[in-house]
Amino acid sequence: MLEFAVELFSDYTARTILLGAASLGVVSGVVGSYAVLRKQSLVGDVMSHAALPGIVLAFMIVGVKEQLPIFIGAALSAVLAVFVINLVTQNSRIKIDSAMGMALSVFFGLGLVLLTYVQRMPDANQAGLDKFLFGQAEALVEKDVLIIGLTGLFALLVVGLFWKEFKLLCFDPDFGGTMGFSMKSLDMLVTAVIVSAIVIGLQTVGVVLMSSMLIAPAVAARQWTGSMGSMVILAALIAAVSGVTGVALSAGFENIPTGPAVIVCVSVIAFFSVLFSPNGFFTLKFKDARSRREIKKDYVLKVLHDLALEHDDPGYAHSERLLALGSEKGFNVKKSLWALQTAGYVESVGEDNWRLTQSGIHEVKKLSPLEKGR
Amino acid sequence: MSGRGENPVAPAIRVTDLTVAYGDKTVLWDIDLEIPKGSMVAVVGPNGAGKTTLIKSIQGLLPRVAGVISIHGKPYEKQRKEVSYVPQRGSVDWDFPTSVVDTVKMGSYGDLGWIRRPGRKEHEKALGALEKVDMLEFAQRQISQLSGGQQQRVFLARALVQSASVYLLDEPFQGVDATTEKAIVTILKELVAGGKTVLAVHHDLNTVSEYYERIAILNVGLVASGRVEDVFNSENLMKAYGGKTSFFPERKAARRAV
Repeated sequence: MLEFAVELFSDYTARTILLGAASLGVVSGVVGSYAVLRKQSLVGDVMSHAALPGIVLAFMIVGVKEQLPIFIGAALSAVLAVFVINLVTQNSRIKIDSAMGMALSVFFGLGLVLLTYVQRMPDANQAGLDKFLFGQAEALVEKDVLIIGLTGLFALLVVGLFWKEFKLLCFDPDFGGTMGFSMKSLDMLVTAVIVSAIVIGLQTVGVVLMSSMLIAPAVAARQWTGSMGSMVILAALIAAVSGVTGVALSAGFENIPTGPAVIVCVSVIAFFSVLFSPNGFFTLKFKDARSRREIKKDYVLKVLHDLALEHDDPGYAHSERLLALGSEKGFNVKKSLWALQTAGYVESVGEDNWRLTQSGIHEVKKLSPLEKGR
Repeated sequence: MSGRGENPVAPAIRVTDLTVAYGDKTVLWDIDLEIPKGSMVAVVGPNGAGKTTLIKSIQGLLPRVAGVISIHGKPYEKQRKEVSYVPQRGSVDWDFPTSVVDTVKMGSYGDLGWIRRPGRKEHEKALGALEKVDMLEFAQRQISQLSGGQQQRVFLARALVQSASVYLLDEPFQGVDATTEKAIVTILKELVAGGKTVLAVHHDLNTVSEYYERIAILNVGLVASGRVEDVFNSENLMKAYGGKTSFFPERKAARRAV
């Protein structure tokens, strides 16, 4: 494995490919954050699928697999799909989700039909057009990487320049509008930046899975941070690492297209983040369980105190059975008592009878939620 | 006290012939409204009366069928910096990854203009506004951790940073606790005492007389506008709310007189 890695990084062609994958990662991480923050993750999905007919048509018109026309074709048909969605939602009762679903399948379906048609043509050039479906990073050459890099730089420059305006657009566009910023232009600019990220991801990741490359890193990054700046940077890092790992995987095992390999990597990171980050599923479950244990402990302490007061003796002992009366099913009073005993608040006086210690009596006075300042 | 773009004789807000429609539905019909400088004005009306639409279309956020808006005698488009906006709290996603102080700083973006970033000065200003709404200790907090009342204070602080002369607020008291409501009213009254103009969409008819000097009663058309003691009566409320209101300002006033 190590040998393989050394070989990969020392080989010029391999280095070129990895550089391409890393740049693509940085750009899609940054740009994807905006798609996620604007709750437009699905728009990214539609746009990347909708690029397919543009790719094939561009090829049909130009007749050779030339990069620039294909990029332009892809961008045009992606933008057209967004335009159609807006047109449909603004002029009919069709809701945005249905419009997006329709646009995605219509454009992608058309793309597949055209692709099948082109592949039947007796022209050797079309070989490899289907690689745009799932991506093939091995095919990247220096010139491709240069274009990826330049387009990426453009996207990063735009994001850097309009950082504050994009923040307004994502958080409170109406408020931004009242301050004289044209939200419509900013919206178009963000769309342009997303489209450029999709276009440069076509060769490496492919139209089918490019949307995950936009969305998953941003979702993963959001789990770890509460600041937009660090979210964007972290998303870029996650996507770059996944890009490089995916490309390496796809090169190491034959017949794995790059797109799926990259997406598997980024998904692993996203899943891990969703489950184990400070706001993740397991972390929250763990915190919940801990605070529930605390509350139960406090409750048992309070009940023991209240019962004892009926005997005018705060240290009066009661049986565990009596304490458990009236508590919910699954409320293990014994467990709480043991925990209280460890803390030194109660002591066992044999035969499952329990009473408050001095420090327990002191503790119970602090329990009132009002005094605790909860 | 005269601000940057104030014309001392013109009303703070003048709305002429304002008509707004969504599709085939008329939401605002031929509104003529004048808000004098230095007044505190409630906009009331039933659900769907077009209160939010009025606030938004004064600021050009919605396409209007007809109508002219002027602020201190000049068209709104030239007077943006004279107007602060507090949108409905629920109109944004409070899970957005940003801190309280950065949210308040957004109020300075208009003065900064395109591309320029907020710096030291804007930061200080934001902290000052947070102090005014008694939220300074929350400056570095995530906005997702705020309660409803705290969210509303943050929005007010953001508007204060804009340092405008006209404040438009959309339901500033919705879903906030009594302490926050009192705090916000106090700040708004201070603004008015300093010569600013406040126009707020308001829901609770019980507090109208206590908080505001003037009122605009709306139901698609403008039912009445003027001083609270002159136009806030059951006749006008019946016109706006139909039979659905059981609130009679006269009775309350009579009770208070006794």
